[in-house]
Amino acid sequence: MAKKVLTVDDDPDVRLFTTTVLEENGYVPVEAGNGEEGLQMIKSEHPDLVILDVLMPRQSGIRLYRELKTSKALANVKIIILSGIAKKTFLRSQQALTEFGESPVPEPDFYLEKPVEADVLADTIRKAIG
Amino acid sequence: MEIKKLMFVTKFEDLGYEAVQALLSLRKASLEHIVFMNVIEREKVAMQRGVGYKKEEAVRLKEAANIRFIDWAERLFEQGMEVGVYIQIGSLEGEVAKAVRKEEADLVVIGRSHKTAMEQFYSGSTVTGIIRRVAVPVLVYKPASESPFSLGKPFERPLLATDWSPASLRAIDYLLPLKPLIQEVSVVHVADEKEIEGSSAMQAQQIRKDTKRRLEELCARFEAAGIAARAHVYVGEPEPEIDKAARECQATMVVMGTSAKMGWVERFIGSTPREIAEKSPFPTLLIPPERR
Repeated sequence: MAKKVLTVDDDPDVRLFTTTVLEENGYVPVEAGNGEEGLQMIKSEHPDLVILDVLMPRQSGIRLYRELKTSKALANVKIIILSGIAKKTFLRSQQALTEFGESPVPEPDFYLEKPVEADVLADTIRKAIG
Repeated sequence: MEIKKLMFVTKFEDLGYEAVQALLSLRKASLEHIVFMNVIEREKVAMQRGVGYKKEEAVRLKEAANIRFIDWAERLFEQGMEVGVYIQIGSLEGEVAKAVRKEEADLVVIGRSHKTAMEQFYSGSTVTGIIRRVAVPVLVYKPASESPFSLGKPFERPLLATDWSPASLRAIDYLLPLKPLIQEVSVVHVADEKEIEGSSAMQAQQIRKDTKRRLEELCARFEAAGIAARAHVYVGEPEPEIDKAARECQATMVVMGTSAKMGWVERFIGSTPREIAEKSPFPTLLIPPERR
């Protein structure tokens, strides 16, 4: 059965790009436009992988990542961060939140900075979920 | 009325990152989330005869805004803040109102209007246009270089200018949770010159005394919450007197209630909050009337 991949990004052009890459590589794409919507879809669609943007309306990818990694039920969801925000910033931000008393979270396994080539994205998806 | 989420609306030339930094003092109260917004006016990319829709220009403007916002967002994320971004093409007032509803923001921060007097007469002021459409307070921020006493701490010495309207009294509830940021509040009423015209010195003093007593009652509400407050009575035209009071009290911000006056009425008879928001060098926090 084809694996399901959820893209959480507010930019419709990015969602179109990832959807095309996913379909061409035999995955089933689903989409959400912000972090809140993304969390709902993770719970309802049970994707095998989430491609997650950071800077979005309503809820950022930083918060959604943290929610997933601190949830017993969702901590194992595979995630690729795909963002214009630098990885260094993502890590510092998580560190700052931990310093403010929130639970520590692990580093993301995969982090791609935008813009990304289609073959790089496809390779990373394969590495993440086969 | 806590400020947990603020929407920072910028055209970049009017409000820059230094304004964001000054507003970060709100973290001492309850600020957790800043949403940046840039609205590209439709005319800049609209359909034109012989040119059509200027898609490349739209992409260029959106990307330029995105690059600025990514830079600002990175700095805030690294401090543990939550950040969001909207870059829209459309009318400023309409897009801000939509985003405020979607985000459930507690405060909108904008720069002063760049419309000319004639444009304001025909299409109304941007500031009042926004405040009529959103149910949350609007802070019209002025660059530090324009504000005599802002020093990057806009909430340190607010001046509440009250005309006893429900919205200006509602401003008290808005300021109370900002206690950790406030050094002292000046509570000011500008009495109409006509009220004391033709009265004896005794009558004029009585008016001043009665007004001061009413102001002291408002000050008592601040003091009960542990915020120092001082009452001041001025007499004359509201706009210059409020400006004078702000200077004399070394205020860092003017806080006022706004009425629900219709746009066209306001264009003809004017509005003190709009005048102060757009002409005074002090950042101006406008509190809307309660919506039913």
